Amino acid sequence: MLWVLLKKQIAEVFRGYFYDSKKNRMRSKGAIAAYLVFFVLLMVGVLGGMFAGLSLQLCGSLVALGMDWLYFLLMCGIAILLGAFGSVFNSYSGLYLAKDNDLLLSLPIPVRTILGARLLNVYLLGAMYTATALIPMLVVYWVVGGVTAAKVVCGLALFVIVTVFVLLLSCVLGWAVAKISLRLKNKSFITVLVSLAFIGIYYFFYFKANDFIRDLILNADVYGEQIKGTAYGLYRFGQIGAGDWSAAGIFLAAMAAACLLVWRVLERSFLKIATASGHVEKKRYVEKTVRQKTPFRALLAKEFGRFASSSGYMLNCGLGILFLPAAGVLLLLKGPELMDVLNMVFANRPGAVPVLLCAMLCTMSSMNDMAAPAVSLEGKSLWIPQSLPVEPKTVLRAKTAVHLILTLLPMAFAAVCAALVLPASTEIRLLVCLTPLVYAAFSAVFGMFVGLRMPVLHWTNEMAPIKQSGAVAIALFGGWGLSLLPLGLYFLAGYRLGPAAFLGLWALVYALAGVLLQRWLDTRGAAEFAAL
Amino acid sequence: MLKIEHLTKTYGDKKAVDDLSLHILPGEIFGFIGHNGAGKSTTIKSAVGILQFDAGEITINGTSLRADPLRCKRDLAYIPDNPDLYEFMSGIKYLNFIADVFCVPSDVRQERIRRYAEIFELSGDLAQPISAYSHGMKQKLAVIAAWLHDPKMIVMDEPFVGLDPKASHLLKEMMREHCDRGGAIFFSTHVLEVAEKLCDKVAIIRHGQLVRAGTMEEVKGDESLEAVFLELEAD
Repeated sequence: MLWVLLKKQIAEVFRGYFYDSKKNRMRSKGAIAAYLVFFVLLMVGVLGGMFAGLSLQLCGSLVALGMDWLYFLLMCGIAILLGAFGSVFNSYSGLYLAKDNDLLLSLPIPVRTILGARLLNVYLLGAMYTATALIPMLVVYWVVGGVTAAKVVCGLALFVIVTVFVLLLSCVLGWAVAKISLRLKNKSFITVLVSLAFIGIYYFFYFKANDFIRDLILNADVYGEQIKGTAYGLYRFGQIGAGDWSAAGIFLAAMAAACLLVWRVLERSFLKIATASGHVEKKRYVEKTVRQKTPFRALLAKEFGRFASSSGYMLNCGLGILFLPAAGVLLLLKGPELMDVLNMVFANRPGAVPVLLCAMLCTMSSMNDMAAPAVSLEGKSLWIPQSLPVEPKTVLRAKTAVHLILTLLPMAFAAVCAALVLPASTEIRLLVCLTPLVYAAFSAVFGMFVGLRMPVLHWTNEMAPIKQSGAVAIALFGGWGLSLLPLGLYFLAGYRLGPAAFLGLWALVYALAGVLLQRWLDTRGAAEFAAL
Repeated sequence: MLKIEHLTKTYGDKKAVDDLSLHILPGEIFGFIGHNGAGKSTTIKSAVGILQFDAGEITINGTSLRADPLRCKRDLAYIPDNPDLYEFMSGIKYLNFIADVFCVPSDVRQERIRRYAEIFELSGDLAQPISAYSHGMKQKLAVIAAWLHDPKMIVMDEPFVGLDPKASHLLKEMMREHCDRGGAIFFSTHVLEVAEKLCDKVAIIRHGQLVRAGTMEEVKGDESLEAVFLELEAD
């Protein structure tokens, strides 16, 4: 039974890879293979590559100093942060908010089996993210430090310990979020604020990482001794990866005990939380006259309401709203120093800095992907826009408009800040303002295009279209690729055109691509939406 | 009011609706009955412009649904078999959203919302999020939303499912009033007693094909509708 439930959940997560919702049939073997290869490339290439680079940077120096344990401690810390951060809302929504909880609870399935299947699902997804850091960590260590049986077995034990710890942490945090959510009003906004605080802390350390790594490598012996002295447990934890059998045994046993404890807590509370409607104070309806809106404005308001109603939607698809103004402020504060450094670094590629600034802003704006899951989020309510007297293209335009409004405004601020601090001609400054705005408009249309081509309409947990859908992955990572591509081209050959002509060409290409995609959305895309 | 001519809709190799023709006139309550999977919902979804059909023609007030779907939809209201509404909205926000899309002026919508919400005893819950509504409350909200723009033609798929006896009674009264004012109603149901008492005309569909249609007297004669339906099913 556990396997049947797990299969159902995994199938739901990866449904988009195997099933074509538009054609209402399984994808061809070729298409499935292509989607899976793309997914693996994304996980291994992008995330795995990033952590392989970090492992290479840390491993050699720390192993040479005989501080293998510190290497494992640091890398595992990063993996735990990555896995737990990605899984908290997954465990909260997957355990307690799944729409099929009532159905499964009504079937002759023991509650612990349902809980077990849900937890296994959270474990596998968490492990998938954590593995992108843990596997490079282990492989790099085995290559640099040599392979022995103890290192391999203990390394695998470390993998199990860290992934299980991520599961436990996600469960405890998810359980806390669920408990708090039962008592909160405006829970989506509060959840977003708390999450943003975490993200702020994460990025603070992320931007300080280089200084931190440099400092750590220079003073590794001092820090190492301090950790050993004050947090001996952490030292022993790091020793697991270096092949310490006893440390591996102790932590495996501790993990098993913690698992048992968390299981008991969840088993006791699962039914109560999963079936609770939450104590929400009943709002009294007071009749008031509302101003009549045009159909488009009504659709737009509905889309804004949808975005603001879900913390998962805001956090996974709207981080650019905050990152762009933050980047603008940072540029105003640190811009002149940054420009000096960049001009020095790229001295052999004249005019690279404006292009680099544009690419940076475009990459940040790709973190706004609200258009990509917008069609999928209609889910079972799709009959509403389809039966209303509004053209399908108007529905799609309202969805795209939310993305445009929420991206163009912060982008305009960030681009103006970039232009202000850039020591360049007026022409280039104008282009530094214009090009990212054009790109932001293009990315909104691109997100809608991808979302319409790969809809996931049958879901029991809204995180499926928001976080796990192919459309969002393509919009996010494809967006990064499309925003960095011009930068690569500039370094290859574009510098011969000079920054002004290159930026103008870049803006023109994306403007044309955006117009073409919008025309497709208004015609064939609208027809596809009507036929969904 | 609603004219369906030679409607055919296929899913893969299966013909869900096969050459079906129906004509619903102003003032008529038209019942649509058939076994599960007979093609009722497919016909209804095609008639309201949600499903694209393979062959045939559907016209509403003389306008082709294919040629001018927006004009047709303005005259229509649809209530699906399952009221999957926008759960992130409150009841009142949903009603205002529907009113905006149908361009119902503020004062008119306010009066209608007040009237229908009072009828269905939903006034006190309009500020609540739809996610907190029971199935019956969602169904009531879907009914109010359907009546909000005073459509000429109302199409409903199993409208009584989930409604309590009082609300069912009220809905039947509203349906009759709507048709007395010159509107028309086309609805599917499995409750044959309701169809027999409420409908002016009835159509029976089996395996996608129309097997009988006409006034209640023409279809059932001296027998009960249930007896006729079971007889036809047994053939």
